Amino acid sequence: MSTNVETVSVKEYFHSLYEGVTSTVKGMWITFKYVWGHKAVSIEYPEVREVLPANARMRLFNDVDNCISCNMCAIACPVDCIYISSVPRPAGQEVPKTDDGTPMRQVLTQYVIDTALCCYCGLCTTVCPTESLTHSNDYEFAQYTLGDMKYDYLSPEVIAWKPRIVGKEPVYRK
Amino acid sequence: MQGWDVPGEKIEPTRTVETEKLKTELLTLNMGPQHPATHGVLRVEIKTDSEVVAHAIPHIGYLHRCMEKHSENLDYRGVIPFVDRMDYLGAMNQELGYVLAVEKMLGTQVPRRAEFIRVLVSELQRIASHLMAFGTYALDLGAFSPFLYAFDEREKILRLFEELSGARLLYNYIWVGGVWNDITADQLARVAEFCDNFEEELKKYDVLVSQNKIFMERTRHVGIMDADMCYRYGATGPVLRGAGVKWDLRKVKPYSIYNEFEFDVPVADGDRGATIGDCYSRYIVRMKEMSESVRIIRQVLTKIESGPIMGKVSKVIKLPKGEVFVRTECPRGELGIHLVSDGEAKPYRLKVKSPCFTHVSMLGEVAPGQLIADFVATIGSIDIVLGEVDR
Amino acid sequence: MLNLNDLAQFINSKVPSAAAKVNAAAEAVCDSAIEVAPASILDVAKSLKDNSKYPFNVLQVISGVDYPDHIEVNYMFANFDLNNAYEFTLKTKVKNKNDAKLESISSVYKAADWQERECYDMLGVTFNNHPDHRRILCPDDWEGFPLRKDYVVQKVYRGMEVNPDAKMNWGDREFAKRQEEITKAQTKASKK
Repeated sequence: MSTNVETVSVKEYFHSLYEGVTSTVKGMWITFKYVWGHKAVSIEYPEVREVLPANARMRLFNDVDNCISCNMCAIACPVDCIYISSVPRPAGQEVPKTDDGTPMRQVLTQYVIDTALCCYCGLCTTVCPTESLTHSNDYEFAQYTLGDMKYDYLSPEVIAWKPRIVGKEPVYRK
Repeated sequence: MQGWDVPGEKIEPTRTVETEKLKTELLTLNMGPQHPATHGVLRVEIKTDSEVVAHAIPHIGYLHRCMEKHSENLDYRGVIPFVDRMDYLGAMNQELGYVLAVEKMLGTQVPRRAEFIRVLVSELQRIASHLMAFGTYALDLGAFSPFLYAFDEREKILRLFEELSGARLLYNYIWVGGVWNDITADQLARVAEFCDNFEEELKKYDVLVSQNKIFMERTRHVGIMDADMCYRYGATGPVLRGAGVKWDLRKVKPYSIYNEFEFDVPVADGDRGATIGDCYSRYIVRMKEMSESVRIIRQVLTKIESGPIMGKVSKVIKLPKGEVFVRTECPRGELGIHLVSDGEAKPYRLKVKSPCFTHVSMLGEVAPGQLIADFVATIGSIDIVLGEVDR
Repeated sequence: MLNLNDLAQFINSKVPSAAAKVNAAAEAVCDSAIEVAPASILDVAKSLKDNSKYPFNVLQVISGVDYPDHIEVNYMFANFDLNNAYEFTLKTKVKNKNDAKLESISSVYKAADWQERECYDMLGVTFNNHPDHRRILCPDDWEGFPLRKDYVVQKVYRGMEVNPDAKMNWGDREFAKRQEEITKAQTKASKK
């Protein structure tokens, strides 16, 4: 609509009025058909939950029983939210093995992920050689403080998630 | 107003209104950064003469993350999640642009199946992005239900992408050398079903919005960006095609395997009484592009070959010394990636030419003389994503 | 296909002071470019736009790159014409990094207006005769030019501390450094 006033004949004026009304009624008819013709698409969230696809990238879970402390995940992470450190295994101690048979030559002393920083890109899980680090399907982990978003995967509370996510009991290889 | 509180002094009326001496002056109006009609955090400083815009100065940078600096400290794979976050409504197309630049320098052969999947997902993403543009544009102009219908269809695409990549919006799906996950026959069948259903939907949108007299009156002859202006500013995509220029990189300079598909480049032709280059033309180009995308997707579904989805790429990507400038056609326009490498495992410089940056700069020239409500229609019609403008 | 050698000759014939030469890429996969003298950039831009032999109607992007001894400013020109579509990169090197100056070409290509502002904002190249020479992405009172390689983030901005220690999570970042102390403390605790 330009700001200069255009002169319109009476016929054109009524014609455009007619067009305005009919085209709107046509549109209203389409919306009206939605009243009965369509199934509701919105999901009433807390009562009904959509099942996520198996590879959905939600909260990270590291199965420390299979982690060989190789540091690959921390290197691949583009936002540096994985803090991992380890010490060499003391001489003479028996070297435990992961589920796929890789020897765990290092003792994991710290495995912390700051999920407040995590960008859920999935690069860390693709480089993991023993597939211990995976994206779980947990998405309800809102917290009150940013500090609560930090997960220590060596703590007993987090290890207790393992049966739910991996489907195996933790073995506590140390 | 001196002497008001001096006791005993008589207060006389100091002003008398003389209507013939009244003059108006420009009123500065700050639109944004938090304003529903600016599609993000765009701030436009408008000087208005009553209801008419006299000047408009767009201010950007509220979403600036300096992703270009970040990427100088990341390896080539780690940049992809950051590229996603530029244009979060067209993430697949952005990834494709960046990955093509890396692959061009690397000289990687991408398997045929991966190429087909790339074309498939980027065309689906184009539809999803245009649906968003369509929905929010109708919302800007006062129609609410098209927004819901558009989101309903977009949801189907996002659901497919979630199954493919694991994320709904920021996929990290297209990798250097191929794609992350393979697409299953079941998913392809769902895409075919979506295509059949979507053509019906498009007809519905046409009656609901495009042919609506009120919508036409709001958008026709408004915000005219003609071909000359588009060239001067370097505008691309639906803005340039809305100005009647048949310029689409997928046809002019085909990348990936776009040369194997048949499709038309829709341009504004001024039907339904529109001026070429106005808001309605840009809008109608987007609507036509969606049906062209459906055409391409149909061809992908018939032509797709089986095979591997990842080419041979070394574990640590190191590019040769040099630079490339690669352009791809994104939903909003041409994305240009200027990648400079010094032979290390990290980019030396990554410059992104974002189409929206160019289009926002055009607002200052289009705005003068428009009504404020028409200015809102103009902002909506160029379909900006501020994440891409500010990077 | 556009022959860069011919184009460089053409630029030299139009603007003799440009000293245009082709910067051939070392690798075949990379792009070649034409380099011109920084002082002649405005004349070169004019001659590229207004000629019939190599008309370039669009300036796509201005991309600055910071190198140790100079700043390179790349202008990507293109011709959006279906029968005659081509593009090329024009380079110019600004030697003096502390006082980097170029002539603005926004009078020739309107697209250069915002692109030059971004180049100034990110790399600190000043463009003479620019109509609206301000920062564009960073705030007006920001210090430094972020895309320079030697850029250091300012410590305090408008009384706000940039990257305050409380948010940097040093406890977890420096866990490995403090590892010995931690293990000692743990063994002590277990002995007790």
